[in-house]
Amino acid sequence: MPRATSTTELSEIVRDAHDARARLRIVARGSWPARTAAVATDAALLDVSALSGVVEYVPGDLTLTAKSGTTLAEIEEATRANGQWCPLLPWGGDGGTLGATFSTATHGPCSASLGAPRDHAIGMQFVDGTGALIRAGGRVVKNVAGFDLTRLLIGSWGTLGVITEVSVRLRARPAVDETWSVEIEADDASAARLDEFRRGPLAPLAMENFNGRSLVRIGGNAAFVAASREAVKSLGAAVSADPESWTRLRESDPRPRGPLATNALADPLSQRVKKQFDPAHILNPGILGEALA
Amino acid sequence: MSLLSDELSSIVGARHVLERATELLVYESDALPGYHKKPRLAVFPGTRDEAIAVVRALHAARAPFVPRGAGTGLSGGALADDVVLLGLQRMRKIISVDPSARTATVEPGVVNVNLTKAAAPFGLHYAPDPSSQSACTIGGNVSENSGGPHCLKYGVTLNHVIAATVVLPGGDVVKLERPTADHTGYDLLGAYVGSEGCFGVTLDVTVRLTPNPEGVFTMLADFTSVDDAARATSAIVAAGILPAALELMDHGTIECVESSIYAAGYPRDAAAVLLIEVDGALAGLDEDVREVQRLCRDCGAREIRTASDATERARLWQGRKKSFGAMGRMAPHLAVQDAVVPRTRLAPILARIAEIGGKYRITVCNVFHAGDGNLHPNVPYDGNDPDETARVHAAMREIMEMCIAEGGAITGEHGVGLDKIGYMESLFPGDSLDAMCRLRDAFDPERRANPGKVVPSHRCREWLAAPGAHS
Ligand SMILES: Cc1cc2nc3c(=O)[nH]c(=O)nc-3n(C[C@H](O)[C@H](O)[C@H](O)COP(=O)(O)OP(=O)(O)OC[C@H]3O[C@@H](n4cnc5c(N)ncnc54)[C@H](O)[C@@H]3O)c2cc1C
Repeated sequence: MPRATSTTELSEIVRDAHDARARLRIVARGSWPARTAAVATDAALLDVSALSGVVEYVPGDLTLTAKSGTTLAEIEEATRANGQWCPLLPWGGDGGTLGATFSTATHGPCSASLGAPRDHAIGMQFVDGTGALIRAGGRVVKNVAGFDLTRLLIGSWGTLGVITEVSVRLRARPAVDETWSVEIEADDASAARLDEFRRGPLAPLAMENFNGRSLVRIGGNAAFVAASREAVKSLGAAVSADPESWTRLRESDPRPRGPLATNALADPLSQRVKKQFDPAHILNPGILGEALA
Repeated sequence: MSLLSDELSSIVGARHVLERATELLVYESDALPGYHKKPRLAVFPGTRDEAIAVVRALHAARAPFVPRGAGTGLSGGALADDVVLLGLQRMRKIISVDPSARTATVEPGVVNVNLTKAAAPFGLHYAPDPSSQSACTIGGNVSENSGGPHCLKYGVTLNHVIAATVVLPGGDVVKLERPTADHTGYDLLGAYVGSEGCFGVTLDVTVRLTPNPEGVFTMLADFTSVDDAARATSAIVAAGILPAALELMDHGTIECVESSIYAAGYPRDAAAVLLIEVDGALAGLDEDVREVQRLCRDCGAREIRTASDATERARLWQGRKKSFGAMGRMAPHLAVQDAVVPRTRLAPILARIAEIGGKYRITVCNVFHAGDGNLHPNVPYDGNDPDETARVHAAMREIMEMCIAEGGAITGEHGVGLDKIGYMESLFPGDSLDAMCRLRDAFDPERRANPGKVVPSHRCREWLAAPGAHS
């Protein structure tokens, strides 16, 4: 199995595969077998997990650049000491890699409040289907220089390029971060109160149904959390919960994770984009439900 | 070309096709001073169907074209050099506002501030607020991925657009949507936002509306050195407080504003002021305000004024939002820059900019989105003086090269357009520029939309020679 230990090596592997029309299945930690099952069976595994490690972290800038094989747990660990985080907090847990999280645009329970992968990335490096190493965006938090290849790659499931490095913006962790488990009655009045809470100024970081109860995460400075706590208690019988419940919930991932039902590349514009970046159709062929030649 | 103009007239009506030099005069420039390009003709569709028909007619004629909103762009993006100018400002309908979903769908020519006005009765607003918001259009904002003071906390245009309908230069109409968990596919919407009119013509845009905050505190912190103000900015960012806005104006800018009709009561003897707005839920707001004030004082703020009511807040903001205009009054021309630098490097970079200004004997007025590290070192000058003009250009280049060397970017919100195209090769390697060309080719294989902008065309490796393709 080809295993890339540097971007140069990765470029060469992909370029050779392109020239030989040899299909590749991109694998980092390999933790998502159900979804990758759609990839053509004759595709050779391309292991990119060795491209790993934090490249640059400037706490004062709240920015971090890491190679794609770095796990989210490693990034969590690097940033925690400075009271910061990159709150991707995706379904599936933090054992996965940065590259895979952006490549699949995996959301999590905090995405609505803290942003989805497309909101966190400020730059990226990838190897396209011809083996070209491409840099997009940068390491500063605001940037409109050139067309946005970063957004293009996010959620493309490896079909436009192999992500080798991602730059993200970080946030300060909330000073207080609490989790409550609430039993919310199924009547209209409760539903109205819940709606008001979720859409109002005290909107929570996350809220999910778990074991028949609602798990609510509230975060901010002490005074904000004190007010949020009262709001949570007004929703129903509330008990304080272990913050680790979120990790367990994310790891157990209740959402369906089968292969795609339909062909995501059906429209002509997507097909043209695909042709421009992977003309030989060698990167994760079939994963978006597209037909194989 | 007159055949084409007849055809376009039959679509939009002869009144809405301009061909005479005198009529085209206003369309020879946008808000970027110093550049003039003559469009061949200008066409202004009034409806979505007309816009589609116009683009299809241009396609049939293989005619290159430049979309244009209000022409407030600061990078020359809307300039049409002997090609057709396609103006969208007649398409200014607010199609729908959905207060419960907190979204609105608008035509591209809707002026930014009018969208916020339409949302106001529901306690909502459109968050991206370029300082030009009273004139610029949502279509232009989408094309430039525009920012504004409040984007520090609320995000730029990209973060607020949820769908757009676009007519591609080849005439196909496509709906671009933000991918969701149920709808996987390429984020073509994300790729389209910020494409500077090079990917097609926006027909409508659906945006997220943001609830008005419960509480707002606007503060003006006054410093006796730029360095202190920059350090205060870095300290606030590093402390993890996310103000709604954090803007820096230096002495030169304060002077321009205070000598103009937009005088906002900024202290004229200050070396720099920070305009800081903290907003959100009432609960916890005081704590954030006190923390910001403490950090400013620790960094040497002389005085911190808090706007006590909406009128005073509006006045403080007016000075900031009209500062480019105020500078424009100081001299016949104004060079505008838009670099982004790491926020920990603000103080040394501002010091370096002052040095470069001194070396070339020019006045640099800094007014910028400090919280994002998005600098606008602007220079009022006389473009009729060739010596001064040369010095301004040399200084600008030196400032930009320094920002690039510091790990920064050449534009944070104004776009590359024509003005910054010369820096693209310093910022990106050849393969990256070529990849951008390929993305553009997917949308516009004949390269007819806004030709010659954003990426130097000699950087586009493969020329997909379509019949009649122009360079
Ligand atoms: C005083 C002043 C202050 C400013 N402050 C800010 C600021 O704070 N933040 C900021 O980001 N910008 C700012 N700008 C820059 C400018 O206002 C923005 O770039 C704005 O988004 C441009 O909108 P417009 O309608 O004027 O577009 P135009 O200038 O007409 O066009 C801009 C680009 O968009 C394309 N375009 C326009 N409409 C369409 C369409 N319907 N479909 C496809 N492409 C289209 C054009 O081809 C062009 O490339 C400022 C400008 C001025 C003059």
